[in-house]
Amino acid sequence: MTPTDHHEPELGGDEALAAEYVLGVLPASERQDVARRIEADIMFARLVDDWEARLSPLGAFYTPVDAPASVKQALDRRIFTGNARPTSRAGASWWNSLGLWRGLAAASVVALALVVGWNLQPPVEEAPSARFVASLENPDTDVRYLALYDEAHATISLSRLDGTAAADQDFELWVIEGDEAPASLGVLADADHLEVRPSEELRAKFAAGAVLAVSLEPEGGSPTGQPTGAVVALGDLRSI
Amino acid sequence: MTPPDISKLIVRTSMRDRAAFDLLYRQTSAKLFGVCLRVLNDRAEAEEALQEVYVKIWTKADRFAVSDLSPISWLVAVARNHSIDRIRARRMKQTGLDEAAEIADPAPGPEALALAGDEGARIHLCLEELDADRAAAVRGAYLVGESYAELAERHGVPLNTMRTWLRRSLMKLKDCLER
Repeated sequence: MTPTDHHEPELGGDEALAAEYVLGVLPASERQDVARRIEADIMFARLVDDWEARLSPLGAFYTPVDAPASVKQALDRRIFTGNARPTSRAGASWWNSLGLWRGLAAASVVALALVVGWNLQPPVEEAPSARFVASLENPDTDVRYLALYDEAHATISLSRLDGTAAADQDFELWVIEGDEAPASLGVLADADHLEVRPSEELRAKFAAGAVLAVSLEPEGGSPTGQPTGAVVALGDLRSI
Repeated sequence: MTPPDISKLIVRTSMRDRAAFDLLYRQTSAKLFGVCLRVLNDRAEAEEALQEVYVKIWTKADRFAVSDLSPISWLVAVARNHSIDRIRARRMKQTGLDEAAEIADPAPGPEALALAGDEGARIHLCLEELDADRAAAVRGAYLVGESYAELAERHGVPLNTMRTWLRRSLMKLKDCLER
């Protein structure tokens, strides 16, 4: 290597730490500290994400190698059978797992069909329907939701990643289409997984580019029909 | 499979859609196994790591939506970070000079560069602007997960010097990529 030049600028502070984490050069204990910080500090997490993006083209140099089938079998045993619970997000109990409830709902439809004596047809290929996803966040708050809108089921599935309202306040969900005034989708229950079923009129507003927003409102929701408190998280609907 | 398809599979996986998860595994496990193997350099350990990586993907797929990474880059990042955590824990006990010799030149060949496309070519051009051994240090760290301590030993410099060199290289790399 060339002799050290003291005038060369070097990366410093959080930016250096983020880059070093992504590069992978830190010792084990520092990696653990950084991993914890990524969970807790959204601005820092962004720095890490930026460095992942910068260096990610180097990932093209990893040559694919087929893994033996035993790996997938072991993985399935680990995730889907035995005592493994269908969710693992810290704080979310399996009662709150969307998949579980959806599974149960599907199972009861099948059970009902059997009781009523319907002839169960082979599954028909589902017609393609629009689905949108939005990541709701605001760098000034720790509130983060992931929203998935499924046109076929006219349902918004919300997963709360972080943040809760104060005891005497509620989060309210809004959809904003273009320059129109926000339309309320209702107050959000204090739960990690939620489903919201918008009315037909509101469903018309769901299109790529529409915005979903969460505002902080007095308990029970906005008294005016328009957001009255701070918008604590928002994001664009993206077609998937 | 195109990236939007993989995005869709990751988002469906976050909704606990097992069929989507199975398909995601079929489409991406070879790439991620390649990552685990390259970093861990041990087949049995790489198989175990791959399993853990997909457990993480199953449980943390919702994080993908808040990331700006392309779907495959996000998956590679999960596999890389997990493999590096594992090797960091393992290598605390062994500082293998033999191992260092084996991975001394991880510079990609022309065919790998072609695979990397425009972005890959760009980062490679930016790496070319660095001194050859500094570029090799960046590549070595990224691809095989070498630590500061290992890099310092291999290049025969004190750890703090290596840290300074690498931080300067990262600064130059960032400037070059933003040019």
